[in-house]
Amino acid sequence: MRNLSLRRAVTAGAVTILALGGAAALGAGPAYAKANSQVTVVHGIPGQAVDVYVNGKKTVPNFQPGKVAGPLSLPAGQYDIALTKPGDAIGDALLTVDDAEVPGGANISLVAHLNAEGQPALTPFVNDTAKLAAGKARLIVRHAAAAPAVDIRAGGKPVFEGVTNGKEGKADLDAGTVSADVVLAGSDTRVLGPADLDLKEGTATIVYAVGSAEAKSLDIVTQTIDGLHSAPGGVPSGDGGRADGNGSLPWYGIGAVGILLALFGLTRLATGRR
Amino acid sequence: MSSRLAASVAALGVALAVTAGVVACQSQPAADFGAPAVTGPASPAASAVGVPVRDGRPPRTATTEAPARLRIPALKLDAAVDAVGIDAATGDFAVPPSVDRVGWYRYGPGFAAKAGSIVVAGHVDSAAEGKGAFFKLGALNAGDEVTLVGPDGREQAFEVIARERYRKTAIPLDKYFARDGSPRLTLITCGGPFDAKTRHYRDNVVVTAEPAP
Repeated sequence: MRNLSLRRAVTAGAVTILALGGAAALGAGPAYAKANSQVTVVHGIPGQAVDVYVNGKKTVPNFQPGKVAGPLSLPAGQYDIALTKPGDAIGDALLTVDDAEVPGGANISLVAHLNAEGQPALTPFVNDTAKLAAGKARLIVRHAAAAPAVDIRAGGKPVFEGVTNGKEGKADLDAGTVSADVVLAGSDTRVLGPADLDLKEGTATIVYAVGSAEAKSLDIVTQTIDGLHSAPGGVPSGDGGRADGNGSLPWYGIGAVGILLALFGLTRLATGRR
Repeated sequence: MSSRLAASVAALGVALAVTAGVVACQSQPAADFGAPAVTGPASPAASAVGVPVRDGRPPRTATTEAPARLRIPALKLDAAVDAVGIDAATGDFAVPPSVDRVGWYRYGPGFAAKAGSIVVAGHVDSAAEGKGAFFKLGALNAGDEVTLVGPDGREQAFEVIARERYRKTAIPLDKYFARDGSPRLTLITCGGPFDAKTRHYRDNVVVTAEPAP
């Protein structure tokens, strides 16, 4: 016990020193130092490859529909983003977004897609990267298609209802395979799927519904974020009690002998004096 | 018996009891050895060239290879390994109820893992079935051999490098269930004093083994 608590004290001390050292290092650095954000770019506009420019610099050349690029590690700040036809000048961009706000320390997906009216749009989504409980997987479904409100079903049951363009549904589920499909909200009219989604434990799977219902180009694009796993709550592995004190019995035995001897001696001492 | 002799006997008794008490207390953590070398993943070389682009089709999870048997010659143990996950009711590791089987954590690294901790947990005992496969786990020593047998009979040899005991309330499970760092095999069971009222052991015993050279 004594050793254990000493070890803990030493560990605690080391942690304290590290924390203080860290604080000192931070204090010495610039006050605005903030963690970069991880930015993933998702291409959900059918039929049009693009060059992606960030602050005037070509960052993802010839980016094909259905692909996912990144993550880019970007400091917090405002960014000008432009999409051009491959090789076109930035002045002839198909789509530009100026002063897009990127906060610090976030995980963001920047999605090029069609809005509900069928026009190209660039929508940022903040990804939930909170740790998952052991055994769980996160499913995030985003409506990024020129289509009306939809219900997303898993195993035939609606899990997200009435999701509209630019919105998402999100749930932490048991890890494993689910069969998912997308129907027009409140109906059984299937517009996408069914598709088997392999929801990996400790991973967020983000599914984008993209394309256009009218042009019959609806499809899905998926992105995954791993490393969100946690350890189990505990490892209960015995309820019999047979292993109580495994290994340390001899010392208890010697202690008991000592106590008996002491008692015996004291008794003799007491009776001898009488 | 003279009173002097009786006093000496009493003194000897006290000395023995105190020494034994102190040694018993100190010997519990001192019985631990080694600290599993847990190294972080090598930081990927900073790539200045281009942004990685992936296909957005739904990913197919590569199936992790499940170990089939665990052999520990020093304990005369040759146990079947079940692939297990989480007990939905408690959020705990779902250790196989049968005490002669052990459970491999199927969400973590598998048989052929190149990185991270392959976790196998087993009962020390159970009220219903008696002594478990890991009854003697705490008796393993540095250098003892542990063999994991793969689904196709392939064997992977490991060598014990650490044995530790923690109160269940203080065990750093994140470290033992890490999916990165150097490849290692982590064996977990229960130990320490048993509380007959709650029918739980106070501690977990953890043995760490690394791939044999």
